[in-house]
Amino acid sequence: MLPRTLLATGLRDLLRRPLHTALLVLGVALGVAVVVAIDLAGDSARRAFARSADAVVGRATHVVLGGPSGVPVAAYRDLRRHESVQAAAPVVEATAVSDTLGRSAVRLLGVDPIAEGPFRDHLGGGSLRAPGFGRLFTEPRGAVLSATLARRHGLGPGDALSLRVDDRRLELRVLGLIETAPDRAAALDGLVLLDVGVAQELLGRGDRLTRIDLILAPGASPAAIAAGLGPGLRVAPASEQAETAIQLTEAFHLNLGALSLLALVVGMFLIYNTITFSVVQRRAVFGTLRLLGATPRQVFALILVEAAAAAAVGTLAGEALGYVLGQGAVRLVTRTINDLYFVLAVGDVPLTAGVALPGALLGLGAALLAALPPALEASRVEPIAALRPSTYESHARRLLPRLASAGALLALGGGALLAVTDGVPAAFGALFAIVLGVALAVPLLTATFAARAAAPMGRVAGALGRIAARTVERSVGRTGVAVAALTTAVSVTVGVSLMIASFRATVVNWLELTIRADLYVGAPSGGGVRATPAIDPQLPARLAALPGVEAIETIRRVRIASEVGEIALGASDLGAAGAGLYRFAAGSDPDPWARVEQGALIVSEPFAHRHRLAPRGASVLLQTDRGRVRFPVAGVFYDYSTEEGLVLMGRATYERHFEDRAVSSIALHAAPGVDLDALASQVREAATGRALLVTDNRSLKREAMRVFDRTFAVTHALRLLAVVVAFVGVWSALMALHAERTRELATLQALGLTPGLLRRLGLLESGLMGALAGLLSLPLGALLAAILVDVINVRSFGWTMELRLEPGLFVQALAVSLAASLLATVYPLWRLSRREVAAALRQE
Amino acid sequence: MPALIRFDRVSKTYPEGDAPRVVLREASAEVAAGEIVAIRGRSGSGKSTLLNLVAGLDSPTSGDVWLGDVAVNRLSPRERTLLRRDRMGFVFQFFNLIPTLRVLENVVLPAELAGRGPRAARERALALLDRVGLASRADAFPDRLSGGEQQRVALARALVMDPPLVLADEPTGNLDDHAGEVVMQLLDEMTRAAGKTLLLVTHSREVAARADRVLTIEDGHLVAPR
Ligand SMILES: Nc1ncnc2c1ncn2[C@@H]1O[C@H](COP(=O)(O)OP(=O)(O)OP(=O)(O)O)[C@@H](O)[C@H]1O
Ligand SMILES: [Mg+2]
Repeated sequence: MLPRTLLATGLRDLLRRPLHTALLVLGVALGVAVVVAIDLAGDSARRAFARSADAVVGRATHVVLGGPSGVPVAAYRDLRRHESVQAAAPVVEATAVSDTLGRSAVRLLGVDPIAEGPFRDHLGGGSLRAPGFGRLFTEPRGAVLSATLARRHGLGPGDALSLRVDDRRLELRVLGLIETAPDRAAALDGLVLLDVGVAQELLGRGDRLTRIDLILAPGASPAAIAAGLGPGLRVAPASEQAETAIQLTEAFHLNLGALSLLALVVGMFLIYNTITFSVVQRRAVFGTLRLLGATPRQVFALILVEAAAAAAVGTLAGEALGYVLGQGAVRLVTRTINDLYFVLAVGDVPLTAGVALPGALLGLGAALLAALPPALEASRVEPIAALRPSTYESHARRLLPRLASAGALLALGGGALLAVTDGVPAAFGALFAIVLGVALAVPLLTATFAARAAAPMGRVAGALGRIAARTVERSVGRTGVAVAALTTAVSVTVGVSLMIASFRATVVNWLELTIRADLYVGAPSGGGVRATPAIDPQLPARLAALPGVEAIETIRRVRIASEVGEIALGASDLGAAGAGLYRFAAGSDPDPWARVEQGALIVSEPFAHRHRLAPRGASVLLQTDRGRVRFPVAGVFYDYSTEEGLVLMGRATYERHFEDRAVSSIALHAAPGVDLDALASQVREAATGRALLVTDNRSLKREAMRVFDRTFAVTHALRLLAVVVAFVGVWSALMALHAERTRELATLQALGLTPGLLRRLGLLESGLMGALAGLLSLPLGALLAAILVDVINVRSFGWTMELRLEPGLFVQALAVSLAASLLATVYPLWRLSRREVAAALRQE
Repeated sequence: MPALIRFDRVSKTYPEGDAPRVVLREASAEVAAGEIVAIRGRSGSGKSTLLNLVAGLDSPTSGDVWLGDVAVNRLSPRERTLLRRDRMGFVFQFFNLIPTLRVLENVVLPAELAGRGPRAARERALALLDRVGLASRADAFPDRLSGGEQQRVALARALVMDPPLVLADEPTGNLDDHAGEVVMQLLDEMTRAAGKTLLLVTHSREVAARADRVLTIEDGHLVAPR
């Protein structure tokens, strides 16, 4: 379709304008890199999770699970003899934090080396012959860990290994290292193995196991097996836990996905602008080509080929850059997952075809899509353009009203979508439609406003002011795109910033309300919300007896099974003292804490939202040690500690239904006038020998806010990206504008426009564009924030928060718009000032 | 000699606010095949407009422009493209060489766009370059050439498809006297020798003197000068 010579004109053009081509390549590379990096991170996290689940669960088909206090060993003895059970293995599991292993969280797995064989052959089977493994039986405090983990921290056989689990400190010795093939090493990373009996003893689990792994005979009925066990035990598919964990991180991955999409859009915008500029500059060339017999289709294809060539290079660069960025992104993602969800050790981060290929296709596709409008523009260049100046502008201006009405329709459609649907993707779709709709209307607003601005700007800045305003109006095909881009970028920034500010304010209020005791005692855990550290049940009474302690509250956090899957349950001994601790949603019982004392539950807002529970009249079926019990729900409370949701019950109710007596954290109220530092030391003394953390009110709040801010750190990247878009948009629009006005500007210069005045003209033009975008982005930003806060957040997490329109953020938005557009003028103006006026006068 | 170009009561009006600007008023004229015709007239009289109408780059408000037995203004855009490609050569005031193509490639381009075999097109292009005295610069990019040299390349490019009609809008307008003389000499010889028709817009009396006939645009009409 494309003759060779025609092809050469396009490809050589890329070589002749290195800056232009570099921008094109950068646009593609940027998009591909972010997509690949984020994909890489998400993919590695997911694979790491699957691997570690695999390492822990192995070939088990089912697991026997109990309540918070686990599974009695007796059940294991019975099951071993059960005819439908082909193999069974006892497991004690815990999350530990290790000073020896770089303070990272590790998984402690207590296993029976002999029973292990059929389940995990890298632990039993082959590696049983590994030096040290057999001694697990005989050595009372021996552990085996993966060679990779040990080497990373310089550990070898015979070295000491100290761990903290719950409120206990464990001093272990490394007996041996497990060497595995490199592809399996990652699965074992972050794993410390003990003998099951040793683990029971060290962790104070008595004769209890965390779970029993089973391989059932084909056709065996799990329900029948469960029926033979005690009322508190159940038989679940081995995949259940992994699925729960993956569901937990779904929203997180969705957000990351949205971020990479945004990067792609930015890249596309860059490509669109760059190619448009080159098309504008080459109008005469396209005119000549058409005159010499090239068809519109050939010119169209020419632009696409140019874009594809640059995109190919950009994709390669993007993959490489994405791989490098990915290594960093993986750490970021893992940290967030560890903060919020569960322990995860991500080993290597290879660039697999599964990540590289979609990245490449997306990059190429996006580049071609972005090149489509300028390619169309090029193909529409009439042959007469070889002889005559452009006709583009009148064409663009005729489009404005149509574009604006299409935009209005789109935005209304988005609003309607918000009103009639209740899903998260639909809400994002609606948000996108509204932003795009407004962006489409911006060029018309730009032209209208600029026309109005001519007179006042003329009064202030004379002829230059009038020229500037009229240029923005007349060349709205260029300036409108720039203002639209700037408006979109800045309003997205404003919207997200307002959302975070509102969220933050809400969380601060909530912390004020809920963190009201003076001191908090808890076990350090590295397991996010999934960790349920247990503290010695004797401790609360000892602490309550300390002089200066007025009152004490405890909470026990556990994870249990329910009719809606695994849930987080808290048991609180607050009773009537709980009043005022939480705000309750409308419709809740007037005195929910009294009902809690009588055996009812209260559930957090995300929990109610996720499982569609009404504040009154609902109930939840829980798996207790006494069997399955249905509990009434007395109310829905506002809570921001976990998006998974939380169920609270009274301590007495808990002890009636569960055998577990531990607590997870203790809150102390000091008597008036007591020195808190002194009290804290007394508490530490009372807890000597235990790995407990004593935190005062203020540091606990500070720590909570630190995690909050870290979670939203990724949005700083978003803001930076938005500013880059704004900058690039104005910049390339100005370049195109100057290219189109070559003769006009040269004429002005010939007529005596000094370099200083030329600069002033350029700054007036871009300043007008920046101010316009800034003004337009304020209402749009507020609207976006409202949608994010009142719709998206509620739909994705079930969190109600109060929208706060911080004036500072609006001022900031105006400043960013103006700064971006004024800065973007620097290079185009410099280029303009270096041009030879005489040559420019002749050129078109 | 049969007429190759026939203007049949051609009018051209450009809308311009309330009072439309009339450039051509029922202009009629004929140009025979093989004739060299110069078009003169005051600036803004409509010379370029006339040429554009022949090339099908612009359409008359009324009347027809015939090229042989087809009315150019009644063709579809695609047919016009093919007509231009196969039957017309263009020489412009500002040369309009493609800056990213070498001299030889510029000359070959129309043939290639028409789907001609590369070897034959190359040979013909080289022969034409030789004819205009630029064979040695075949591999240079246009920006290395002087204005006169660029126009000679454009001349070779206009003839590479061996079109029966060559349209030239002030081909010497951007050249000094000597370079203009060289270009005109070549244009004259190469079209005349091959029996081509040349429609030439010019301001210069000397250039017009080379033509077989001169047409002047006066008040929208095509007239032979007194
Ligand atoms: N697209 C257009 N829209 C409006 N008026 C036009 C357009 N193109 C040409 N004209 C007008 O038509 C008239 C003839 O223009 P044309 O370019 O044919 O003149 P010309 O004889 O070639 O002049 P010159 O010798 O200066 O090149 C001029 O008055 C010009 O203003
Ligand atoms: Mg003219």
